[in-house]
Amino acid sequence: MSTKLPNGLCSRRHFLEAGGFGLGMLGLATLLRQDGLLAAPVKPLLGNEVFDLLPKQPPRPAKAKAMISLFMMGGPSQMDLFDPKPMLTKWHGQKFPGDIKYDNVAQASAKVLGSFWKFSRHGKCGMELSELLPHLGGVADDICLIRSMKSGVNNHLQGMLAVQTGRITAGNPTMGAWVTYALGSETKDLPAYVVMGHPSGLPTFANQHWSNGWLPSIYQGTFVRATAPHILNLDPPAALQGKPQERQMELLRAMNAEHAANHPGETDLQARIQSYELAGRMQLAAKEAFDISSEPKHVLELYGVGRKECDDYARRCLIARRLVERGVRYVQVLNQGQSWDNHGSIKSALPALCAATDRPSAALVADLKQRGLLDSTIVHWGGEMGRLPVLQNDAGEAKWGRDHNTYGFSQWVAGGGFKGGLTYGETDEWGHHAVKDVVNHYDWHATMLDCFGFDHDKLAFKRNGAALTLTNNQPARVVREILA
Amino acid sequence: MLLAALLVGAAGLHAAESPDYETQIRPILKEHCTHCHGEEEKPKGGVDLRLRRFMDGKTEDGSPVLTPGDPEKSALWTLVRDGEMPKKGKKMPEHQLALLAAWIKAGAKISEDEPAGPLPPGVYVSKRDRSFWSFQPVTKPTLPRFADQPELGPIDALVRTKLQAKQLDFAPEADPATLIRRATIDLTGLPPTPAETVAFVADASPDAYAKLIERLLASPAYGERWARHWLDVAGYADTNGYADADSVRPYAWRYRDYVIRSLNADKPWDRFIQEQLAGDELNAVSAANVAAAVLDPSKIDALTATAYLRLGPDGTGDTVADVALAKNQSIADTLRIVTTSLTGLTVACAQCHDHRYDPISQVDYFRLRAVFDPALDWRKWQTPAQRTASLYTAADKAKAAEIEKQAAAIDAEAAKMYKDALDVIFEQKILEVPEAERAAYRVARNTPVAKRTKEQAALIKKYFSAQATFGLDLYDKAADNKVVAKRAEATALRAKKPVEGRVSVLVEPVNASPKSELHHRGDHAQPRQAVTPGELSILGNPVIPVDDPKLPTTGRRLAYAKWLTSGDHPLVGRALMNRVWMHHFGRGIVNTPGDFGLLGERPSHPELLDYLAGRFVETGWSLKAMHREMMLSRTYRQSARNDAAQAADPDNALFGRYRIRRLDAETIRDAMLAVSGKLNPEMYGEPVTVGKTGDGRMIPGVEIRNANRDVIKVDTSSPAVYRRSVYLQQRRSGPATALATFDLPNMDPNCERRDLTTVAPQSLFLMNDEFVIERAKDLAARVIKEHPADENAQVRAAWVLTQGREPSAKELADFNRLLAEQTEHFAKLKPAKPVADASLKVKPVKVKSTSKKAAPQPTFPAPVATTQDVRVEALGSLCQVLLATNRFLHVD
Repeated sequence: MSTKLPNGLCSRRHFLEAGGFGLGMLGLATLLRQDGLLAAPVKPLLGNEVFDLLPKQPPRPAKAKAMISLFMMGGPSQMDLFDPKPMLTKWHGQKFPGDIKYDNVAQASAKVLGSFWKFSRHGKCGMELSELLPHLGGVADDICLIRSMKSGVNNHLQGMLAVQTGRITAGNPTMGAWVTYALGSETKDLPAYVVMGHPSGLPTFANQHWSNGWLPSIYQGTFVRATAPHILNLDPPAALQGKPQERQMELLRAMNAEHAANHPGETDLQARIQSYELAGRMQLAAKEAFDISSEPKHVLELYGVGRKECDDYARRCLIARRLVERGVRYVQVLNQGQSWDNHGSIKSALPALCAATDRPSAALVADLKQRGLLDSTIVHWGGEMGRLPVLQNDAGEAKWGRDHNTYGFSQWVAGGGFKGGLTYGETDEWGHHAVKDVVNHYDWHATMLDCFGFDHDKLAFKRNGAALTLTNNQPARVVREILA
Repeated sequence: MLLAALLVGAAGLHAAESPDYETQIRPILKEHCTHCHGEEEKPKGGVDLRLRRFMDGKTEDGSPVLTPGDPEKSALWTLVRDGEMPKKGKKMPEHQLALLAAWIKAGAKISEDEPAGPLPPGVYVSKRDRSFWSFQPVTKPTLPRFADQPELGPIDALVRTKLQAKQLDFAPEADPATLIRRATIDLTGLPPTPAETVAFVADASPDAYAKLIERLLASPAYGERWARHWLDVAGYADTNGYADADSVRPYAWRYRDYVIRSLNADKPWDRFIQEQLAGDELNAVSAANVAAAVLDPSKIDALTATAYLRLGPDGTGDTVADVALAKNQSIADTLRIVTTSLTGLTVACAQCHDHRYDPISQVDYFRLRAVFDPALDWRKWQTPAQRTASLYTAADKAKAAEIEKQAAAIDAEAAKMYKDALDVIFEQKILEVPEAERAAYRVARNTPVAKRTKEQAALIKKYFSAQATFGLDLYDKAADNKVVAKRAEATALRAKKPVEGRVSVLVEPVNASPKSELHHRGDHAQPRQAVTPGELSILGNPVIPVDDPKLPTTGRRLAYAKWLTSGDHPLVGRALMNRVWMHHFGRGIVNTPGDFGLLGERPSHPELLDYLAGRFVETGWSLKAMHREMMLSRTYRQSARNDAAQAADPDNALFGRYRIRRLDAETIRDAMLAVSGKLNPEMYGEPVTVGKTGDGRMIPGVEIRNANRDVIKVDTSSPAVYRRSVYLQQRRSGPATALATFDLPNMDPNCERRDLTTVAPQSLFLMNDEFVIERAKDLAARVIKEHPADENAQVRAAWVLTQGREPSAKELADFNRLLAEQTEHFAKLKPAKPVADASLKVKPVKVKSTSKKAAPQPTFPAPVATTQDVRVEALGSLCQVLLATNRFLHVD
C-alpha cells in the first residue's frame, strides 16, 4: 500500500519495506523531503516511528526559529552583575541577619559581602547593570533580564541537568534535543544542534550538556572544538576527493541499507546512515560556516575578535551567528569547566570572566538585530545557579568569594519573541531568594517552548507507554509578561 | 475553596479515603520538611516532623502543628499552602499539597507502628524505608518451570516468565556466524578470525558453542577486554586530573596490568575486592615495612591492587588554588568510586547533608569515610608522587653500585687523559709567560681556583690564554675525541643499570589514629562530632574496628572488605552482576547501574538479579563461571530480530531479542587493527604515549619537540602504536582521537555506564581519518598477499574479515564495478613505477574539486596497467567502506 507520489517516487515506508535496496535510498528520500518533494511523515514502521530532521511546522505560528544558548556553567554572581543590592553594601562585613542555605563547600561564613562593583542605568529602559558589563548595557533595550530565576537544585551537575533537561537525573533530553525533535532542522548541510566547546576541551559533565537522553540519537548535539579545526577530518585526503569518495558512499549506502533491512526499526542504525549523508554534505558546507575570515572588519571588531581578553569567545559567538544564519536550529556555546563558580578570589576572577564574554555576548545581540535575525532567534545567557549574599573564604579581601545560591539568580534572554528593555522579577533585598514573579526552570522551559510555538505539556515523546515532556508534569507557567 | 480544588486534584481520591502515611505522606515530609524539622541537632522551632506522634505538639506561636480532620487548623498544612514553608528549597508541588490535606482530613492516621521514646537526631529510618528492594538480603528465587520447555535453565526461565506475561517469547537462536562474532567481541573485544568462524560454523557437535565459550574465556584477550569494563568504574587514568596541568601518573599502569592478570586468572572476586580495598592489611603491611613488602613476590600483587583507592583525580601534586579542598575532593572522589563500583549506591550527596531520598545520613557518610581515614588522612596527606614505593631489589642495587663503580673509574680515566693532554699543551703555552713569572704561574695554575690567592688569580688573569686548563678541543681535536669516546663508555655503562621501577601503594602510617569527624555541610574547615568507622546503617552493622589490636594496621578497610565479600551484603553481588549482565545484554536489569536507590530505576527482573547475585557467591565469586552461565543461556543466544518483542518493548527491557549495539571506542579501533593484520598483541607494561598532531588530533606516538618545546611532529614509527587500546595512555584531558570520537568516557572521577552517541564527526572520522585510511590499505594489502592470483578471492576475504560473511554474487558484481572505477582513478594518480619499489603510501596530490569548470587534469605519465600499489590504493578505498559499515561497527 505504498503511496504513489506525483513525481513517481514512493513513500519512505516503501523504501524501507523494499528490503535489500530500499534503505539505501533513505538518504535520498531525506533529501527529497527536505527539498519539499515528498509528503508528510509516513506511518510508523513496526510501531516505531521513523525519525528525521526535516523542518517541521509548530502547531501555532511562532516567532522563534532558532536559539543560541550562551551557557554559563558555574553560577554567575547575580549581585555583582545583574541584580544590585545596596543592602549588601550597607551591611558589608556584618553578620547576615537571616538564614543562609549554604551548599557543600568549604569556608562558609555569615558575613555579608557587598559588591565590589558599581551599577548604573543603561538604555532607554534604564536597566541597572554592573560596570563589569559595559557592552551589555549597550543592548539593554533589546534584552529581557530575569532577576528571579530559581531552581532549588544544589550541586552543579544536578543544577545543570535541571535547567537543561527539567530533571535532576542523568540520561534525559536537553532543551536543544527537544527543540530539534520538535522542529527539525533548516539545513541539511550542518548538524541541527551544535555545541561549541571551550578550548580546554570537553566540559566537566561532557555530553550530558547536549544529550538526546531517550529521544532518538539524531537529536543529539554535535560537539565541535573551540579552536580550528573546529571539526576534525573535515577534508578528504586529496586522493579521495570528489568521485572516489562518492563511489565509497555509494557502496556504503547499499551495504548499510541491506543491513538495516535486517534490523527494521533500529533508530540508531538509521541515525548513522543519516549521519554519513550529513557528514558528506558537511565536508562542503561546514568549513565555510566555521570560517570567519570572510567577515568584514567592523563585524570582527564588534565581537572583539583579535582582542586578547575575549578573542576565543568572540570567535565562537560569531560562528554561532553564522550557524544560525545557515539554518542550524540550536547552538550552545560553553564556557570553561565551571568558571563562574567563584568560591574565592571573586574580585580578580569576575572581571576577567566578564572581559572574556561581555563584548562578544552583546555583539551577538546587536549583530543578529542588524541582520534582522534577532526576531527569530532566542539568545540566552545564563547558568545553572547564582551566588550568595555572604562571603566565603574569609582570608582577606583578595580571596573572598561567594557560595552557591539556587534560590535566586539572574539570566537574560533576547529576541525570538521576548520583550526587550525589560527587567523582570525580584529577589529579596539581599539577593538571596527570588521573591517576586519567580521563574523556576520549568517556567523557563515552558516559556521558551511557547516562543517556538509549542505548549510545554503537549510537546511529548512516547516512551514505554508514557508521554514524556520537557517540563515533566511539573506545574509550569508560561511567563507571558516577558513575551512581546 | 482552594482546599476543595486541591482535593479534587488529588488523583481520584474520595474525600473519605486517606492517603497512606508510609508510602505517600512521609516521603513528602522527608523531601521537604524533616531536613530542618528533626534531622538536624535541634529541630527548627521545636517542631519535629519525623514521627506522627511528634506532630501533636504546637508551633512556636502556639498553634497546633496538626489537627486530625481539619487541615485549616493544622500549621503543617496552612504554612505550606501559604508558601511560608518550606523556608528553603523548592515549593511543595500542588499534588503533594493535596495529598497532605487529604491525609489530615481523613484523620492523619499512620500505617505502620512508630518506635517509642525519643529519637536521636538524624534520619529516621522506618520499616518501610528498610523494606526498599535493594536493601533486602539477596534471596533465592523460586524458579518457574515450563511444561513446553522443561530444559530451560534458571536465567531463561526467569526471563521467559516476564516475556510470557506480555504474550511474547524468545526470538529464534541466532545463526552460528552471528553467534561467534557476538561472543568473541563480547569476551575479547576483537572479531573472530575467518578461520575461527569457518571452524565454528562447520562444527556440528552439540557442545560446539560451549567449547567456543571456553576457548574465548581462556584467551588472554579476555582479560584485556573485561579489565576495561572494570577500569571504567574504577576511574583508571594515566594522568592525575583535577588541576589544569593534568600531570602524568607514571605508575598507574601496574594497576591496569594487575586487573588484566586477575581477570585472566579468574581470581575469585571476593579476593579481588579485598586486595583492592585492603591488600596492604591482608599482608600486614604498613608504612613501616612497605619498602621490603613490595619486593616480596607473594605480596606485590595485593599491594599493587591498593592503587584502586588512589585512582580518582588528584591535583595535590600540582598547582591548585586550595590544597586542602583538593585533598578532600580526592577523598570524596575515592568514596564515590568505591560506592558506585561495588555497591551501586550514590552516597556523594550525603557528604553535605542527609540524603534527601535514600535513608543515608550525613553521619553514615562520614562513618564510611572513617573506614578510609587512616590511609587517606587529609591532615597527613601524601601527594601522588609520594605514595609510591621503589621496586629496586637488593640485587638491583648491588648491580647498580657495581656499574657505578666501573663507570666512575672510566670517568676518572677520562679526566686524567684530559688533564694529561692539557698539561702537554701547557708546556707550550707557558712560553707566552715572561720567564720571571713562569714558576709562580705554574704554581697558580696547579692551585684549585677556589684556593688561589689574590695575587695568583691576578697572575692567571694576566696571562689568561696560557693556562690551558680547559677547552682541549680547541688545542687538540684528536686528543679531545679520545676523551669524549672514553666518557661515552661510562655513559653507556651507566645505561645498563637496572631501571628503578616504582609502584603506587596505599598504606597506613604506623600507629595511625586519624581524627574522624563529620564535616558540617561537607566543609572540612567546619568539623563537628567525632565519628567511628562503620557501614551505612541501612545496609547492615558489621563490626569495623577503630584499631584492630591483632594487626599492625587499624584493620578498618580489611573488616569492611570482608563484610562486602561475606555474601551477606545486599548490594555487592547485585551491583556487580547487574553490570556484567549489562555488558552482555546491552542493558542492566537495573537500568541505572550506578544508582540502586530511590531515584534509580527498579529492577526489571528482581528475581533474576537475586538469582545471579546468589549464584555468583555459590560459584566462589568466579566471574568466568557467570559469563558461562549467562552466555550459554537461550536469552543470550537469541537473534536480534523479534518483531513482536520489538514492537511491544522497544527498549528491550524484557530481553526478548538480542540488543544490536555499536561497538565501544576501544573495540572499533582494536577491530580495525585486527582485521587489517596490524594488531600488535604485546601485553602489559607502560602505556603507549599519545601526542598532538598539527591538525589537532591526538594519536599514539611520541611527541617530537623543537628547542622551543613546540611539538613538531608525532613519531609513529614504533610498532607499539598498533597495540590494543587498553594500553594507550589514558589522559584525562587529552584522550586519543580514535577513542574520544566514539565516546570514550571522561574519567571524572569514574564512569558507571558509557553513553554511545551517533554524530557526524564519527562519520567524518571513518571517511577521512588517516588511521582508518591506513588500516583500510593494510587490509587490502593483506588480502592481496593472501590471494595474489585471484582478485575475487581478495574481495571475498575482505568481506569475510569485516562483515562476517561473503558477498552475494550481485554484491560482488557491484563491488567490482566500483573497484574498477577506483582502480582507473588511482592509476591516473600514480606515476608509473616498478612494482618492486612501490610504496604503500600515496603522495599527496592536489586534485582540483570536480566542479564543472575545472575537471581534474592528471599531470602524470599515462596510466599503466594495474600495479601492486594501485591495486592496494583502489581496493583499500573500498575496504575503508567495509570498515565504515554498520555491520562492522555493530554487534548483533
